Amino acid sequence: MSDSPAQAVLEILARETGVPPTKINEATELVGDLGIDSPRALQVLVEIEDKLDIEVNDEEVANLRTVGDILEVVATRFPA
Amino acid sequence: MATVDRGTFSTALIPYPNLPEALGAAASQSPTSGLTILDRRGRAAGRRTYLEVLAAAAQTAARLATLGIRPGDRVVVALPSSFDWFDVWLGAIHLGALPVATAPGAAVGASQVQLAKLTGVVGKLDAKLIVSTAGLAEKLSEAAPSEEPLPPCLTPDELAAASSASTLDVARASPDDTAFLQLTSGSTGFPRAVQVTHGGAIHNALALDAGVAAPHRSDSRGFIDHWASWVPLYHDMGLISNLTLMLKGVDLHLMPSEAFLGRPRLWLENLASGGRTVATAPNFGYQLCVDRLGDGDLEGLDLSNWQVAFSAAEMIRPETVTAFLDKFARCGFKSENYRPGYGLAEATLVVAIDDTGGAPRTLPVPKGSNGGGFGLSEVFCVGGPVLDTRIRIAAPDGSASPDGRIGEVWAKGPGVFKGYYNEPDATAEALVDGWLRTGDLGFLDRGELYLTGRLKDLLIVRGENLMPHELEWLAESVSGGGGLERAAAFSVSRGGEGEQVILVVEVNVKDSTQLQNLARDLRIEIGHEFGVTLADVVLVKRGQLPKTTSGKVQRGLIRERYLNEELPRLG
Repeated sequence: MSDSPAQAVLEILARETGVPPTKINEATELVGDLGIDSPRALQVLVEIEDKLDIEVNDEEVANLRTVGDILEVVATRFPA
Repeated sequence: MATVDRGTFSTALIPYPNLPEALGAAASQSPTSGLTILDRRGRAAGRRTYLEVLAAAAQTAARLATLGIRPGDRVVVALPSSFDWFDVWLGAIHLGALPVATAPGAAVGASQVQLAKLTGVVGKLDAKLIVSTAGLAEKLSEAAPSEEPLPPCLTPDELAAASSASTLDVARASPDDTAFLQLTSGSTGFPRAVQVTHGGAIHNALALDAGVAAPHRSDSRGFIDHWASWVPLYHDMGLISNLTLMLKGVDLHLMPSEAFLGRPRLWLENLASGGRTVATAPNFGYQLCVDRLGDGDLEGLDLSNWQVAFSAAEMIRPETVTAFLDKFARCGFKSENYRPGYGLAEATLVVAIDDTGGAPRTLPVPKGSNGGGFGLSEVFCVGGPVLDTRIRIAAPDGSASPDGRIGEVWAKGPGVFKGYYNEPDATAEALVDGWLRTGDLGFLDRGELYLTGRLKDLLIVRGENLMPHELEWLAESVSGGGGLERAAAFSVSRGGEGEQVILVVEVNVKDSTQLQNLARDLRIEIGHEFGVTLADVVLVKRGQLPKTTSGKVQRGLIRERYLNEELPRLG
């Protein structure tokens, strides 16, 4: 069985930042907790886009502060 | 003596007194050349000839006039790289108003502080109109009313719906008139705006072209099919190289910086897509290509037609150049096409370019100097002054230093700015008898400039300027200090990664959880406000930071103690 989109996001974040997945949750701040700046965040986003075959638009990108924000955007592309 | 100058442009090269006339004449001469806008996936989202770009701008000028915008009024352009951006920015110039380009806030997580940045710029410059994206406009309208009412904020669609004045009475600008304002650092509340003149902008755009094209004994139009750029238009490098192309009638492919940052290969693919190409980028752009492209990504990438890779706007790192040349030689990129240069917004863009046509060259930093604190043992030649421009290495008394001696770089020429907008004191400090004190340190060797460091405590991260006191004020507001507890921000160099930001903060806290939380808050706030990651946050007890008698933190000394691991870290 393949991973859920949310799991895929967490795996990519953990792999790209070296932060253990158990320490990443919805409230985790991209900049403050994962220590990624804008270029890095965009790189991670691209990996997520490629892995899940989705496109995140510029307006959404500007609103991404936490891991939860990413999951929320991803969820809109995979309605239950 | 170490002052060098360069021959002058023949007047035939700058036959027009202002940007609208120069751009109009150039577009008529190359009616098929134009601008292609790419989207975040590198796909062409539209193309306009420069004639069409200018016609749309003239129409926007008429609409701005109907909205009450007058010559000299400040118009803030907070838009991504798009046709809309050109409509408004060039439209304002057409009208004689002063456009001010700011970051549109598309950076990850930037929307929260974007508002504060925008209102800071608007307030400081007393702007009469903001043109922004729908998202930003919505946030502005939702924001709590401040004491100073904001000017109207329109989206490009709303602006396009305005009726246009039937007759537009535009005064003919002279070369010495201010054409636009260029922000030197984009942070909240402390924007400083460089006044760039029509003559300075035309000069600098053509000087960039001459420097880029010199080894080819031609000009861009003679040997280049297109330029590919991702450098944002609110950045002096993105802006002036764009004007260069419009004035030379050369095609431009413009991609959003987010496209490049997310997928650097898209930029290289565009450069490899056909014909002879040019691209400009700060050092970090080349480093990003080195870091992100694996061996597999190089497959099928033919960079043999990439004629010029211009690098300026931040310190050129030997590690980056070596790694870039090494990696992309496999794609056919030739080392002699890597073209270092030097410039700053106060000189419009460009002061020096290595236009000899050889591979990049270095010299060791002269002995007996710390070179301004960058800790580099060898530094790149950034070439001689561009046309009509002089460079002097100034001793502390302002006199010219001999070859090989490090001093402050001064520049004089048509590109040098008129001053900061509404800041006579800062202007008087920066301009001495027409010479621009750049605040950068370097030395001359046989007429060519080598940069070694910086006199002023400026941080340059990924080609963007950060003022240390701005980071410190924010840090002090987060830590609750500012009175007794102070903060110091500075950068250290880490190889090809370039400048890394270090923050040292005095605190009155001992509990380790509290210390951890404080460090986290500092990272979050600084990250969101300035878009940078702190490489290190050092918390120390109150009173640990050396200060001058007037109470200013001594950043240089603190930086030295940090590098020597002498700071007594808490937690």
